[in-house]
Amino acid sequence: MYRYDTFDRQFVNERVAHYREQTERYLAGEIPDEEFLQLRLRNGLYVQRLAPMLRVAVPYGTLSSEQLRRLAHIARHWDRGYGHLSTRQNMQFNWPELAEVPDILESLAEVEMHAIQTSGNCIRNVTTDQFAGVASDESLDPRPYCELLRQWSTNHPEFDWLPRKFKIAVTGASSDRAAIAVHDIGLAVYRHTDSGVCFDVYVGGGQGRTPAVAQLIRQGLPVQHLLTYTEAIMRVYNRYGRRDNKYKARIKILVKAMTAEGFQQRVDEEWAHLKDSPSTLTEGEIERMEAFFRPHNYPAAEAFDLGGERLRDQQFDRWVRTNVTEHKVSGYAVVTLSTKITGVPPGDVSDAQMEAVADWADEFGFGEIRISHDQNFVLPDVPVARLSELWRNACEAQLGAANAGLLSDMICCPGGDYCSLANAKSIPLAEAIQRRFDDYDYQYDLGSLDINISGCMNACGHHHVGHIGILGVDKKGAEFYQISLGGHSGEHGLAASLGQIIGPSFSRATVPDVIARILDVFVAQRVEEETFLGCFRRIGMEPFKQQVYERAA
Amino acid sequence: MPLEELGMILALNDRTPSERAMVPQADWAADGEDGLLLAVDVEPSETLAQAPLIGVEFPAFNDGRALSLAVLLRTRFGFTGELRAVGDVRPDLLHYLVRCGFDSAELKSNAVSASGALVSTGFNVLAPYRDNYQASVVESEPAYRRVRRGA
Repeated sequence: MYRYDTFDRQFVNERVAHYREQTERYLAGEIPDEEFLQLRLRNGLYVQRLAPMLRVAVPYGTLSSEQLRRLAHIARHWDRGYGHLSTRQNMQFNWPELAEVPDILESLAEVEMHAIQTSGNCIRNVTTDQFAGVASDESLDPRPYCELLRQWSTNHPEFDWLPRKFKIAVTGASSDRAAIAVHDIGLAVYRHTDSGVCFDVYVGGGQGRTPAVAQLIRQGLPVQHLLTYTEAIMRVYNRYGRRDNKYKARIKILVKAMTAEGFQQRVDEEWAHLKDSPSTLTEGEIERMEAFFRPHNYPAAEAFDLGGERLRDQQFDRWVRTNVTEHKVSGYAVVTLSTKITGVPPGDVSDAQMEAVADWADEFGFGEIRISHDQNFVLPDVPVARLSELWRNACEAQLGAANAGLLSDMICCPGGDYCSLANAKSIPLAEAIQRRFDDYDYQYDLGSLDINISGCMNACGHHHVGHIGILGVDKKGAEFYQISLGGHSGEHGLAASLGQIIGPSFSRATVPDVIARILDVFVAQRVEEETFLGCFRRIGMEPFKQQVYERAA
Repeated sequence: MPLEELGMILALNDRTPSERAMVPQADWAADGEDGLLLAVDVEPSETLAQAPLIGVEFPAFNDGRALSLAVLLRTRFGFTGELRAVGDVRPDLLHYLVRCGFDSAELKSNAVSASGALVSTGFNVLAPYRDNYQASVVESEPAYRRVRRGA
């Protein structure tokens, strides 16, 4: 993974000092509220319904065991003993004191971490595939290019005051686990036989109240032009993106207004001036970055057959089926440690759990951990022969649920329990659904199913790309939930799609039953091993609609 | 805008701020002596870049269009005159302005001394960072072309 050099350390330390000085002046009444708001957001600090929330950047979801131990320390020392894994692969703390945040940032800087640009109208943490570097379906590890983008976008003089927040995602695999189609910029990286490392560039995707699938505006962009081409996109957006209405300020609205062709032309005109400028990446810098992410030196693992252990223990067998993913290197496996236990808010992890995961990363791997956008931990390099040992440890630490990708592995925003934007609560609903479908046999039979819950149309819970999406809405002061079907983030080589709303919204108490009826239709209509998404795409909305509303009437 | 209506004019670099008047684009002539006051949404041009002094008006302190306009005037249209930030300009954002090519800024308060230090704490708001990753108007090359990275 990437390690800071003197330059990085100097910058991050100066940033901490800068923000400490600003915090002190704010507390002394020398910076007006509306201005300090913008400064603290750019250092990761929100003020939420109950308390401030600090969002710590986990660049492209990769952490070292030392860093995770530091996050556990922060949770214990400055918070209430837990943290929250966000859908953008970051770690959030819900109870820090505003005046103590500079101390937390200083502690983070000691382990090469920060909270820079994790909120505010600027370029946010670049996200990627949680299996980057180890996935068997990957053509290229996207993380060197994520790190190049991270450095380029950090404290950018021109692009730190955009019309709205700006999210970039990169994938290098055939199954797009980074959901690039619903990002402001989505990059697909691959190696071309003639031109080397190249990017296909998509713009204007997003969720929120105007969901859109990103449009391809350039194919085969050679890697040395990555930053200058991105600069061209950012300049067009910074100059022409709407600033009069925050709901129309994302780049997707501009792309729609200009059309993808018009936008592309504008970007190309701008790029003609920037191409080959000094911001063009040098071979040395690209190689330096790629070197940080070279495959580990994997000791040859003896061939190991899990068959016996799986036969002996049905629980272990299920866990292997759902939570273990094929590794690039034979004899190794990629493990998803699920945080989705009934009764625990999705993505919440305790300090003790963080320390346990850090220990396992050292013991069963190379000291590396990932955070996935579906709010789970990933251990990327576990020897197959040691899977059952890890699984037993994980079960003891409440991280051994065999549900990755299944119904109970829901994506869920913090919702009305924490967030001041939310129309409705999402965590209690996730719990109600988990309780309603606590029969694991039923979940296995259903197969791959993404239920995504957002407490408001800002869509932090990615409801537009849930196979079943649930959106909290306000109906004359009461919390209601709108359900959509058929959304998809782009995994498994299937094109991304946005969910369609099934019809009028439901009260919280009825949602689990509504989902049960939707699943009844699927079970009755599915052909062989068809997934929910495949079935929906084949039979369409009508059968679901009939079952849900006729029975409800 | 008559000079006496302006607030404190702070030099962001070695260039001494001009005492010229600035007039809106409609009243401005390329062959005249006046400085030019531009709105953030204007399309820059070589004609406009002939002005001896350009003021870019920030409608709000967090409106980043002014930064792109400054970069374009400097890097694409060859503007060599004085570039001044006017309107809603705040001390804590001056470091971005410096890197986008502004020479001076009109501030509504006396919170910053002539050296760029905050009067209250002495913190230098013009350059909180000794170095940055990117190229900018005042630093023609990104760090990876100038600095030995990886050390």
